[in-house]
Amino acid sequence: MKFLSIVQLTFRESLAKKTFIAFLIISTIINLLFLLALNLDIVDGMQSSISIFGEQTDQIINLQEIIYGVEGFVAVMLFTVGIFMALFATSGLIPTLLQPGFIDLFISKPVSRFEILSGRYLGAVAIVALNIFYLVIGTWLIMSLKTGIWNFGFLLGGALIVLTFAILFALMTLLGIVSKSGPLSLMITYLILFFSPLLKQRDSIYALLSSKIYGQIIDGLYYFLPKTSELGSITQRLTRGLEINTWTPLWTSLAFGIFIFLLSAYIFQRKNF
Amino acid sequence: MYAVETFELSKFYSHGRIKALQDFSLQVEKGKIFSLLGPNGAGKTTLIKVLIGIVHQTSGHAKLLNQSINKVSVHKKIGYLAENHRFPEFLSAHQILHYYGKMAGLGPSQLKKQIPALLKTVNLHRWENVKIRKYSKGMMQRLGLAHALLNEPELIFLDEPTDGIDPVGRRQIRDLLKSLRDEGVTIFVNSHLLSEVERMSDEVAILKQGKLIQRGTVEDFISIKEQYQIRLDSADTMQNICNDMKVPIKRENDLFTVSVQDDQQLNRLIDRLRQSKTMILAVIPKKITLEDYFIDIIEDKKGESD
Ligand SMILES: Nc1ncnc2c1ncn2[C@@H]1O[C@H](COP(=O)(O)OP(=O)(O)O)[C@@H](O)[C@H]1O
Ligand SMILES: [Mg+2]
Repeated sequence: MKFLSIVQLTFRESLAKKTFIAFLIISTIINLLFLLALNLDIVDGMQSSISIFGEQTDQIINLQEIIYGVEGFVAVMLFTVGIFMALFATSGLIPTLLQPGFIDLFISKPVSRFEILSGRYLGAVAIVALNIFYLVIGTWLIMSLKTGIWNFGFLLGGALIVLTFAILFALMTLLGIVSKSGPLSLMITYLILFFSPLLKQRDSIYALLSSKIYGQIIDGLYYFLPKTSELGSITQRLTRGLEINTWTPLWTSLAFGIFIFLLSAYIFQRKNF
Repeated sequence: MYAVETFELSKFYSHGRIKALQDFSLQVEKGKIFSLLGPNGAGKTTLIKVLIGIVHQTSGHAKLLNQSINKVSVHKKIGYLAENHRFPEFLSAHQILHYYGKMAGLGPSQLKKQIPALLKTVNLHRWENVKIRKYSKGMMQRLGLAHALLNEPELIFLDEPTDGIDPVGRRQIRDLLKSLRDEGVTIFVNSHLLSEVERMSDEVAILKQGKLIQRGTVEDFISIKEQYQIRLDSADTMQNICNDMKVPIKRENDLFTVSVQDDQQLNRLIDRLRQSKTMILAVIPKKITLEDYFIDIIEDKKGESD
């Protein structure tokens, strides 16, 4: 009850920001588009002809392809633009929590500092999950009802997007506690987000390095930092029903998230306000 | 059992450069209005923050209601009005009391009972559904007070509670605090305003540069030094008599300022003056208020000795 109220208050606080309202409106429009504009005339079982905005295409298309096309597109958008927006919208939550006069009220309640930070963290993840699943479940239902094909991989993809956000938000939590600045923590988190594809391609960087040490540092960074690029691929493969070759990027990224969150909690515990 | 007990509590900031609180030991009895008085920067807020766990002490320890301050469970019985409290602006007073009441561990039925009653007590019931960004400083302060009372605490910490409140509101707050005290609640007030402290406190402690300088009842403080100005036609014997009686004395020409213990001592002094045939031209009472005493203490630079 006490813990839940911290989650709820964070949730309510995020909702008061226009970003999430905008996100929900955009999601609704996208869903309406799929619902109204996409007409599938099922020809026989797995085949259909498709019309978008009433424009009939002559091609007969595999239903499975339509599902993968639409849901894959939504997954990619959510993984890139969605996470980007979600990080932006939540970047102020931790610095706001630490404001003098605001944090005091939380600490004066019979809740531990760990509960305060976890409640804040879960509140942020909860509102992002709501936004992401609103679009994912909406699209999924519409597509499944239209085609009769229920692609559960897409839902798993949605869960992975939320998880990726949760890992990155742990990093933003740490940066927020240390720097007390929303914009700064956002920028560094973005940097790491963009660094990931680069690190993935580290084989081609090795040749450019003057010393072996740098190679080892880059290797170390690769294994330590969240592997958003690989997580993106896994999301895609899940959505498209493809086999996942390795889950290792997920486990190491998850370990990073947990470690960073616990480190944040430790620093938060020792802080004076 | 005391409501508040501290044992040589110290808090240093900036790697020890700022000594906000130094070896501070204090006991506050239950059911009293206790005021901690001191100029800005004395360390009053730091003390409350240490007691509530908002900052961690550098050394020493403390107990609230006989429980270590390290345990958050004691917060169930504690109310706190922060000096510059900040609530989420997009909420109304009612919503704020709802969320923070839940955080304090109140159930739905308690919230339903407590919130309207408290809003009425602090006179915000007509504003309960207005977003607080429209509130004045005084209204925010009253909301903060309602928030501090939500969980029907046994011990309340109020950091500059009448800040930004008009005289009528101040009086209402004083009356509210007194009636809570009469119900057995212990009230710990931080203030730099003597006039406030004087009017409502059962006990006062004076803090200066992180050190406890003096504590006692308001009456104690006022009666410590009753001062009189005495004007004489000749100053010859005055000094001797006062030395003899151990009465502190200051002289400005023919005007002596004496600090006597009480009226009896004053009369004995006058008797001795008259026996020595000194002509008394005037005896002017200069009853020292807590304020004068306070300013004396601050200007005397007491507590700066080491
Ligand atoms: N977070 C902090 N960092 C450094 N110095 C601080 C901090 N908080 C308070 N101080 C200093 O500690 C001293 C006591 O402050 P405070 O407890 O707020 O006094 P008061 O409430 O009596 O006005 C002041 O010198 C103040 O500048
Ligand atoms: Mg203060």
